[in-house]
Amino acid sequence: MGESKQEWDRLLLLIPFLAVVPYLIIQGESAPDWAWLIVAVPFIISPIIAIAGQIWNGHDTWVNRLKEGGIIALGALGLSLSAGLWLIYDYLTTQPSKRFTPDPWSWLSFDVLTYNGEGWSVAASGFDFFGLGLYLDALSIMLLFVATFLCFLICWFAVGYMTTDPINDNSNHRFFAEFVLFSIGMFGMVLADNFLWLFIFWEIMGLCSYLLIGFYYWKKSAAYAAKKAFLTTRVGDVFLLIGLLMLYDIYGSLDFSVVFDDPSTGVGGAVVSAAKLQTALLMLFIGAVGKSAQFPLHVWLPDAMEGPTPVSALIHAATMVNAGLYLVARMVPFVDVANGGVAGMEDLGLIVAWIGGITAFMAAAIAFVQNDIKKVLAYSTMSQLAYIFTGLGAALWLFNTGNHEAGALVFGGALFHLFNHAMAKGMLFMASGSVIHEVHHAHDHLHHEGDDSEHDHASHHDFDAQDMRNMGGLASKMPVTATAMMLGSMSIIGIPLIGGFWSKEVIIGKTWYAYFHGADALLGPALLILATAGMTGFYMSRMWFMTFAGEPRNELVEHVHEATPWIKTPLIVLSIMTALGGFGLAVYGAVEFLSAEADYLSLHGHTLLEQIIHEVEHAFLPEDMQLRYVGWVTILLAFIIGPIMAARIYGGALKEGEQAIPLVHWLTSLSGKFGSQNVDDLANSELAEALQQRLYFDDLYEGILARTIVPFAAFAAWFDANVIDGAIKQIESKSVLGSIQIRRVTTGSARDYILMAAIGTLSIFALIWGVNA
Amino acid sequence: MIAASWIAGLGVILFGIGLVGAFSRKNAIVVLMCIEVMLNAANLNFVAGALHHGSVDGWVFAAIAIAIAAAEVAIGLAILLSLYSTQETISLDEATLLKH
Repeated sequence: MGESKQEWDRLLLLIPFLAVVPYLIIQGESAPDWAWLIVAVPFIISPIIAIAGQIWNGHDTWVNRLKEGGIIALGALGLSLSAGLWLIYDYLTTQPSKRFTPDPWSWLSFDVLTYNGEGWSVAASGFDFFGLGLYLDALSIMLLFVATFLCFLICWFAVGYMTTDPINDNSNHRFFAEFVLFSIGMFGMVLADNFLWLFIFWEIMGLCSYLLIGFYYWKKSAAYAAKKAFLTTRVGDVFLLIGLLMLYDIYGSLDFSVVFDDPSTGVGGAVVSAAKLQTALLMLFIGAVGKSAQFPLHVWLPDAMEGPTPVSALIHAATMVNAGLYLVARMVPFVDVANGGVAGMEDLGLIVAWIGGITAFMAAAIAFVQNDIKKVLAYSTMSQLAYIFTGLGAALWLFNTGNHEAGALVFGGALFHLFNHAMAKGMLFMASGSVIHEVHHAHDHLHHEGDDSEHDHASHHDFDAQDMRNMGGLASKMPVTATAMMLGSMSIIGIPLIGGFWSKEVIIGKTWYAYFHGADALLGPALLILATAGMTGFYMSRMWFMTFAGEPRNELVEHVHEATPWIKTPLIVLSIMTALGGFGLAVYGAVEFLSAEADYLSLHGHTLLEQIIHEVEHAFLPEDMQLRYVGWVTILLAFIIGPIMAARIYGGALKEGEQAIPLVHWLTSLSGKFGSQNVDDLANSELAEALQQRLYFDDLYEGILARTIVPFAAFAAWFDANVIDGAIKQIESKSVLGSIQIRRVTTGSARDYILMAAIGTLSIFALIWGVNA
Repeated sequence: MIAASWIAGLGVILFGIGLVGAFSRKNAIVVLMCIEVMLNAANLNFVAGALHHGSVDGWVFAAIAIAIAAAEVAIGLAILLSLYSTQETISLDEATLLKH
């Protein structure tokens, strides 16, 4: 208890950071004027942590009081969170319309020249195409909340997780500096009012993702995974850049305010060609596919789990992977025909939806057989992001065919799913981190008590703390984690009334709606995501049952106990958020708000109870009979068939005498009733083998690389060694010979030098005289 | 009144003497003297120019150049002194430190 109190004393250091925003509010400042704090403070703090960590590495105060920079990082992110909440509150209460800062920060201003047939003249001076301003609408407000809130909570989690991690002594300042640097990228991308700045911040995130996946860089697999992630997303980023150049070509600007103002009119009043714009948007979409790990650029995300678990939670589940979705969501003004968009780009929506449908199904199938708890979550992330892509694709199609109302609904639903998924998946990863952390510690405790640490490091390789086959029956040992994991899984599965249910229902229902209303090509994605709903129910339940239910499959589970308050607190906060937040926001009209159909989050003039009844009735009994069947099938698959099949195969009763806390007790006893705990049943079929090998995508890509890039690289190496280097070596050896000859002139005698100077001067005079004559 | 061209001609002759002396003699003091001769040949040129154009500028340049030459001689002699104290010679053929 005393120790725990001492831990909380560390939080006193946060007060100066958290006091800034209240002070500004008291001073009567306005929130948008201070929005730059959200990005600027982490920007300053990140290098400070890195440098201070180098200077005071291993120092007692640095390690114990400042948690190797963790407290400073937490302070900076706390300041960003408070400034973000202030901005959001300001937006929701005062001016709910799109806004720009009056005077964006100019960094690349230049003169515009025009050619008038004879020469160049300045048409406009100091013109600034790429100033950094602030763009606020419901979409960026929502993502700003997700980013600031989760960055803060996951940093809190990381303080507990990283500083007690036995592997990396005294290098956590590197982690926190990169973590804070990442947050700059996310906050900046969300707030930027310009596609170019969006791209810059996008790349900052890519860099930090690379650095943090490779945090344990001495592990070969981690270094490999970091490279793989960086190079795979790079493929997408190249296309993104091409897309931006095409957009610039069309509109002569990348400012949201200019581009969105009138998407059908290009630079100089030219009519925008739908084919050209669609190609540009598809290029952007390929960038989004890379960032959000969708088929066929999905291969990096599972490997990215090599990074520390807080990184998986923040970057590879809750924030960065949403960047691609954000980019696609930003395409709406281009395609929204009802609001001045360009008609004739239906294919864009169909392609987005198909990519989403394929990824959702494929990732869910692969998740069936993963035994690594983080890999299950990684595939689940891919699958859920794919849901959102499918929803966005259907929305783009509906918008482009003029059905603004339905498009807005599925658009809002997709964004709402983004919100729910980020909250739930961030929490699930932290819960999995809690499990891994404790299993790891229990393993150390059991096998290495009294051993020296050298030995310790070596034996880490034999034991996989992330393998669910080493777990089981943890529900009674880790009540908070088990509850958080249960709520998160329920939200992802879409159990009625919890979190993701509200948004998933909208996505699936409206994708089918689009199919029923003319989008024949959407049948595939619609069927795929409907099937995936059931599969999600299966693999998420499987993960929970394998980890928390049944009898322990490893003796060390006996030694597991719940982690420090640093790890528990974010789990509790996010549990409440997941359990009630989704429902609450659904009741307050989040879907309408996010799709910009409503300016405020409100009850639409009803009382709270009426609105709850309305929403629940609407979710279970939509007026459209076709959608009613779709909804019921979804619920049947996701809620009944999937989980029960998982319980049948992987479930089992807890050990005699063990008792879970009431919140999860019903689930463990359900698991005991159904379960056979025969884990190996399905593991031997060919399909399971193919899924184990992730459907051979990695092999395929490596094969392609081995046949194309590697021979080319060998040729390039030969060319470099023989042609380029050869030429340089020739020049070098010849000039050495030449200089040996020239050296003879330097006798060292001052008289010779004077003579040479005189002759030289006279020659120059003679030359000038000769030329003039 | 002597014509300006005569004065300039004297300057050229003096400059030539100084130049030949500077690269043909071994004794550093003689070389220094030759350099002074060349400087003064240049001064004569200034004077000739001033006479020709009827302006005072050339006189001023000549006066400044004489002052600078005096300072330069002081430095040159100081270098020769330290050369002699370290190398025990003032022959330019033996003082070839620049080569290395």
